[in-house]
Amino acid sequence: MAVGFKDYYEVLGVARDARDEEIRSAYRKLARTYHPDVNKDPDAEDRFKEISEAYEVLRDPEKRERYDRLGANWRAGQDVSGAPGYEDLFRQGAFGDSVRVQFGEESGFSDFFQSLFGGRGAARGGSGVDGFTTRGADHEAVLELSLAEAAAGGKRRLSLADGRSYEVTIPTGVRDGQRIRLAGEGGRGHGGGPSGDLFLRVRIQPDPRFRLEGYDLHLNLPVSPWEAALGATVPVPTLTGTARVRVPAGSSSGRRLRLRGQGMPDAQGGHGDLYAAVQIMVPKKLSRKEHKLFEQLADASKFDPREVRS
Amino acid sequence: MSAGPARATALRVVARSATRGEEQLVELEVLAHEAGLHPDLVRRLIALGLLDAADQPAGAPLFRRDAAARLARAARLRRDLGLNYAGAILACELLERIDDLEERLARYEHRR
Repeated sequence: MAVGFKDYYEVLGVARDARDEEIRSAYRKLARTYHPDVNKDPDAEDRFKEISEAYEVLRDPEKRERYDRLGANWRAGQDVSGAPGYEDLFRQGAFGDSVRVQFGEESGFSDFFQSLFGGRGAARGGSGVDGFTTRGADHEAVLELSLAEAAAGGKRRLSLADGRSYEVTIPTGVRDGQRIRLAGEGGRGHGGGPSGDLFLRVRIQPDPRFRLEGYDLHLNLPVSPWEAALGATVPVPTLTGTARVRVPAGSSSGRRLRLRGQGMPDAQGGHGDLYAAVQIMVPKKLSRKEHKLFEQLADASKFDPREVRS
Repeated sequence: MSAGPARATALRVVARSATRGEEQLVELEVLAHEAGLHPDLVRRLIALGLLDAADQPAGAPLFRRDAAARLARAARLRRDLGLNYAGAILACELLERIDDLEERLARYEHRR
């Protein structure tokens, strides 16, 4: 079986003759950067495993000496299984001492490590070989939903960067920022500890039509001057289609019309309301007839909106 | 080290709000089990101020079930970064504040 060489010195960024303190310092620095509890990058956990594996070998004089006997001319990834003395070096039996950092049921360390130090066997069991068990790290992913999807709920497929795929049933009326918990789908536990959880953070995408406030939806309702003055029944978009709403005669801009129950659903089975704010729109260009009619209206009307305001 | 093969999992999940009223409260031993830690270590972390009891009926403190993740995080940080428990607790609190601020920032930028 091909066994890819791991350049542990390169992983930690230290020279082959680095002192123990330099190795520990390099590990600590990298661990602070890539620890999965600190770094949310999906690749960070794998990088942290590499770093931990390298440190596990180089911090231990016996393991380091055994590793160094392979020689200095290997490049990362090269197959070492055909190397002179490979059988003697790799098959003389596992060290069997502690594997300090583990991930899941197996050590999580590479084949290279396990063939050299027998970590696979050592890592099994109900508790960590270092007597330490812990629950795995919680992971978080963003679940982007449109406003309509959040309101309606239903099934949604979600694929993560590591290849996992879930079909998630989204509850109706899920809120922006709400977390959906997938129990046990986070990082694996250590030494037989339980797995962490995967949280899906709901992110509701902005909607070009609606503004969400609490469970209520708000939108602007464009109406013509004559619809506003005379009253009219006009279509209003809703989350599920279109409703018709009566604009009362004499409505000015800003007047809010309420469509009861047309807002976002809540967890108790109720709904918020939809508020349509009247916005009077004037044609940019008037036809000759429209122009004449507006002139007639201006002559006939005594309405002064500035006076009303004061 | 490579990620496992892609797998499809169908899950029925329930969205939980973050309000205290909807959180399940559990005893210390249950919390320790869920965190994968020994109850004595959990008592020590509580004594150091990592978390407070949510309720204390008849002398038996109860804790929010989701506190298990916080306990485990402190234990991992101590183990992997060479921190003492006080340092791990401080790191936990700072990471949570960063999480909170990043979430607020993301929501703010999302709405702009």
